[in-house]
Amino acid sequence: MTAAAWGQLALFSALVLLTTKPLGVYMARVFEGEHRPFPRILGPFERFLFRLSGVDPSVEQTWVRYAASVLAFSLFSLLVTYVILRLQGFLVFNPQKLAAVDPALAFNTSASFTTNTNWQAYGGESTMSYLSQMAGLAWHNFISAAAGIGIAIALARGLTRRRAPDAPRTLGNFWADLIRATVYVLLPLSLLFALLLVSQGVIQNLSAYREVTTLEGGKQVIALGPVASQEAIKELGTNGGGFFNANSAHPFENPSPFTNLVELWLIFAIPAGLTYTYGRMARDTRQGWAILAAMAVLFLGGTLVAHWAESRPNQALASLALDHGAGNMEGKEVRFGTAASALFATVTTDASCGAVNSMHDSFNPLGGLVPLVNIQLGEVIFGGVGAGLYGMLIFVILSVFIAGLMVGRTPEYLGKKVESREMKLAMLYVLIFPLIILGLTAWASVTQWGTSSLNNAGPHGLSEMIYAFTSGTGNNGSAFAGLNANTTWWNTLLAVAMLGGRFLMIIPALGIAGSMVGKKVVPAGPGTFPTNGPLFTFLLVSVVLIVGALTFFPALSLGPIVEHFAGLAGKVY
Amino acid sequence: MLDVIFILAAVGFFGVAWAYVLGCDWLLEGRQP
Repeated sequence: MTAAAWGQLALFSALVLLTTKPLGVYMARVFEGEHRPFPRILGPFERFLFRLSGVDPSVEQTWVRYAASVLAFSLFSLLVTYVILRLQGFLVFNPQKLAAVDPALAFNTSASFTTNTNWQAYGGESTMSYLSQMAGLAWHNFISAAAGIGIAIALARGLTRRRAPDAPRTLGNFWADLIRATVYVLLPLSLLFALLLVSQGVIQNLSAYREVTTLEGGKQVIALGPVASQEAIKELGTNGGGFFNANSAHPFENPSPFTNLVELWLIFAIPAGLTYTYGRMARDTRQGWAILAAMAVLFLGGTLVAHWAESRPNQALASLALDHGAGNMEGKEVRFGTAASALFATVTTDASCGAVNSMHDSFNPLGGLVPLVNIQLGEVIFGGVGAGLYGMLIFVILSVFIAGLMVGRTPEYLGKKVESREMKLAMLYVLIFPLIILGLTAWASVTQWGTSSLNNAGPHGLSEMIYAFTSGTGNNGSAFAGLNANTTWWNTLLAVAMLGGRFLMIIPALGIAGSMVGKKVVPAGPGTFPTNGPLFTFLLVSVVLIVGALTFFPALSLGPIVEHFAGLAGKVY
Repeated sequence: MLDVIFILAAVGFFGVAWAYVLGCDWLLEGRQP
């Protein structure tokens, strides 16, 4: 790694660390404080939305009602987006007169944005009207992220609340959490950073596309649109759906190394802050720091491997007498180079964002392995907004259970005993993820509809299919490219993968919260395994890695790993 | 026609998810088959 690459990594890490505590304290006040921030500015807006929607925030819900609210709201918002996409040809804000989106693609896209995945089997500038981009997609960028934050806070309440045995076993109110996450966290920060991005050259308009004459005398259509307002929430909400097909490699989305750094920070800001919020809720901030440390260790490991792999020459060109000093530049923006591309790829797949500033398909095999593994570890390395915290808390419970087995004591976490019923749900959470990914990949790899969409043969083609289902199920949304996913089969099955990867994992997480919230808290004794120190961080990292390796190593060995060794022997795909 | 199929598929998925909620609640209550 060059000094510039180290400097960039250090600066980014310092920014995330510096803002973790203030953002965490702010979010703790929003969700659990008696006095919410900015009461004169945001308070009236919050109360207006409560009145408009008929929500009484003081009415708490059991986990079943909380889950029912999540499902009902998600189904409603999915159907609204589907209708907008299908009718966009008749609706306003469509200066390019773009036609209705194909049914399978509309279903895929609606599921994608409802689940905070933002997988895109289309080019935004050639498929979506401005109304679809704003009302169908950007709207979801806010509400799907807000729903994720709400679910993380609900699980945190379940683990940290201390209640009398006869008190109602409630987790908060989903509608109140949804509105507060949107009003107090996502909207203000998105507005602030949209303006910052505009100041740096990200465009924001509703104009028709402009045809220009190039220096060579040719004609080129320059796509325009309301980009900045979607760019900020795209990263802040770990959504990742680009306004343009090239996503954050497009100069109108990400014009400079400075905006690149801002966008990277936006991706990690809320997931990192939520760990501190969790520590505050647990009345022991070291609980949150221990989780953040585990995330940081996994992030740094992935980043260093990706940097190393991409600083090496492209395998197809390695034997040629060229200057390989810039590393593997295939599929990368010259403005960013290998270091910023490798860092972005690691951050975006750690955090379930899916925005890209380079093409992951063109990474060297071990460089491409890193984004794939990041998602397959369960999107818990910072993870999606909310999704990262609730995913990591499931691994925390798993780690506590394993530690309890090792010392022969009933496992407990924050003074609450973890019993077989919670472990059953934790295992459902852990197993549903690989079941969807590996099952659908296996099916696709032996069928005509699966293999006919591939642009590459051999292990690279398998990697493209594994990546697609991993990205969909992990609600990441980044694409490995090299795969034509805009077919009825791929659109439909990836939609199922995205829905399953979101809701079939949220449900057991909320179930665990509902079970833990009513448990008696026992004081820590000499036999209590501390969960707020480096030993627990080590155990947590180990559990995440071991579960991921046991599940996915066989598939990975047939994809990027064998491709790496084939490349060393001179065979590329 | 495809619109109806996809809308029904979405409603069907969330129906399955709701059944999954009830199944998880059943597991948590510790009931045996």
